[in-house]
Amino acid sequence: MNNFKIFQCENSIDGIFTAIYQAWSSGYGHANVKIEEQCERNNYNNIELFSEYIFVKTNLEQAIMVSRSIKSKISLEAYEMVCRVALSDYKGKGDLIYRFLILGFHIGSKIVGHLSNKVVNQVFMLNRYVNGEAHHLLGFIRFSEQENGILTATIHPKNNVISLVTPHFADRLPNERFVIFDKNRDICSLHLPGKPWIIAEFPDMDSSGYDIPVDNEYESLWKIFFDNIAIKERVNPKLQRNNLPIRFRKDMTEFEYV
Amino acid sequence: MIIQEGMSIQRKLEILSDAAKFDVACTSSGVDRKGNGAGIGNSLACGICHTFSADGRCISLLKILFTNECIFDCKYCINRSSNDVVRASFTPEEVCELTMEFYRRNYIEGLFLSSGIMVSPNHTMELILDALRMLREEHHFNGYIHCKAIPGTDPVLVEAIGWYADRMSANLELPTASSLKQLAPHKSRKNILKPMRQIQLRRESNNEYLGIYDGRQPAGNKVESLLLKDDNSGRSDSVYNKVINSYNQKPHKANDYPIDKKENDFDVDLPNSNKIIPYRKSPTGRSRYVPAGQSTQMIIGATNESDYNIMSVSETLYDNFDLKRVFYSAFVNVNDDSNLPSTVSGPPLLREHRLYQADWLLRFYGFKMTELLNEKNPNFNVLLDPKCDWALKNLEQFPVEVNKASYYTLLRVPGIGVNSARRITAARKSAVLDFKDLKAMGIVLKRAVYFITCNGRMMYPIKLNEDFITRELLAVKDRLPFGIEKDITYKQLSLFDDRRFQTDDRLILQQFSHA
Repeated sequence: MNNFKIFQCENSIDGIFTAIYQAWSSGYGHANVKIEEQCERNNYNNIELFSEYIFVKTNLEQAIMVSRSIKSKISLEAYEMVCRVALSDYKGKGDLIYRFLILGFHIGSKIVGHLSNKVVNQVFMLNRYVNGEAHHLLGFIRFSEQENGILTATIHPKNNVISLVTPHFADRLPNERFVIFDKNRDICSLHLPGKPWIIAEFPDMDSSGYDIPVDNEYESLWKIFFDNIAIKERVNPKLQRNNLPIRFRKDMTEFEYV
Repeated sequence: MIIQEGMSIQRKLEILSDAAKFDVACTSSGVDRKGNGAGIGNSLACGICHTFSADGRCISLLKILFTNECIFDCKYCINRSSNDVVRASFTPEEVCELTMEFYRRNYIEGLFLSSGIMVSPNHTMELILDALRMLREEHHFNGYIHCKAIPGTDPVLVEAIGWYADRMSANLELPTASSLKQLAPHKSRKNILKPMRQIQLRRESNNEYLGIYDGRQPAGNKVESLLLKDDNSGRSDSVYNKVINSYNQKPHKANDYPIDKKENDFDVDLPNSNKIIPYRKSPTGRSRYVPAGQSTQMIIGATNESDYNIMSVSETLYDNFDLKRVFYSAFVNVNDDSNLPSTVSGPPLLREHRLYQADWLLRFYGFKMTELLNEKNPNFNVLLDPKCDWALKNLEQFPVEVNKASYYTLLRVPGIGVNSARRITAARKSAVLDFKDLKAMGIVLKRAVYFITCNGRMMYPIKLNEDFITRELLAVKDRLPFGIEKDITYKQLSLFDDRRFQTDDRLILQQFSHA
């Protein structure tokens, strides 16, 4: 068994980038370091006996240096791919990004085409997976209007896509006040007219008050529309499930089974 | 006819969404538009599906009829004037309210407004124009709008509506003029094609003015656009005139197919395509005319046209009318009309599916209709998708070498689609690909394996024999949309559990596909 130096970091783009910076500049050599992020799926049951764990405190300056070199030495496309991978729920994404960057700094912008390489292929697939879920949510998110006029939406995404979907709604609804809750991560994004949107954490906040739909009028109109638009002769639940997986439905107005 | 006064908006929505459900084109694609910071709404070129109804179809737009009152009596339509159904009409205000409130809550990507014909085509289209104008100008709605062009509408109204809508569509309804005459006596082919041609020419001159090229410029139109640019280009006139004259002398594509010569005479009495339309400034302040282009739809299985007839119409529409999409709608006999085919055992979904597959081959895979079908084989194979079918008839073109074949050659391999072909062309720049690389890249080899080589070797020693490959391909389950499988009952005819025991499978299959 090898002894690795394992760099443990926060589960965020900045955390992973900081760990990459420190692992890279540590001088231990690429083969002897590993990055381990505190990912959604990591349960810490499997600590390596002979490896040394080094805890990395997120450092914004170091993270920015990494992102700057990815953009200048590889490409903006690669940078965006890496960011999306860092937002995925894949266990081991930090190390995957590290391995991808080793290749990327060597090969340059053409790295994204090297799909027959295992690491690049994995990054490509994860990028598609995260992008796919974000794109799904652009359509599947449902806002409901509260008494004070604020629009609220709840999502339970597998990947941390809130920062990928919010810009779309900020652009689309510039004059609305809206909140999107990610109940899987206890974070939310907030938007006010004329101001840049932000992401906030709410570990202790009680958002259950927002779960009760207030505007019943348009919600019932929407359900009427939804039921009437289907062609009875073509009813096909399997096709529906394939296009709209069940996991999204609990947050969608037209599918409330209660 | 039952007309209720003072109907609630719930009831109206119930009636008018139910009446709109047979319209197919619920897509919100084709235009990229950022929010303007002031109003509400933006648009993505790839389109966004917001939900999927019980039949598994995408809901992207608020698809409603403005009214289901109708003076026309089209036999296939639930809203025909001779039917005794509850009639309702929205007001422009109600359409705006529903659209805005649904849009805010992210239920929809925009509005798809179609309509029955109340009083006259012009009267109806005026009401629709009112609704769209109100939506765009008073509510500052910047999302997607798809609007129908009702046949027989005054060109002035079509011109005005096009500045508010993102996409417009005139429904062709039926593939041939004669079946249209038979089933929709109040509509004529000419009246349907007239607004289609008008919108096409307007879009071209608008794009020309703005210097926009939206990708897929069909060959037929290239000469037309050259002509529109003629006045200030530096090239010599003689070359131009030659090109234009030769183009004008050439018969239009539609006329190349003898079957359709009379029925599908697309250019009868239509404005000549190389007339110069002067640019008039948009009355609405919007700079683009129907930016997401046009679509149309045809009902499949109500009349006895072959797939060959239908596809040749589609190809003509794509080539000569610059359509973005042609939609196919499996016929459902809603009126239980005894003169029309019964759909008790379900609408012809498999046929619809095959037509869409072939439609994709025309639009993205570089196929020509005549490669897929001809007068001797006028219908698609029930058991194999159109590309497999084509490949089996053209085995001499296979196998192709993955590391060398051009993008369009790869696209012709069964099992390799646009995504796979793109990935292969990107990956082979940096490495010589082997079958295990293809697998790792997520390329499905089930079908492709019979048609490709990597470094000159096939994955298994395979004889390029039509019967053999047909049998193998039939063993690979065709990825049909769920629920269509039940249409195929060929297995019941086999005496053996393992159908490989039979030697004359192919023969039987051929009989089936021609039945």
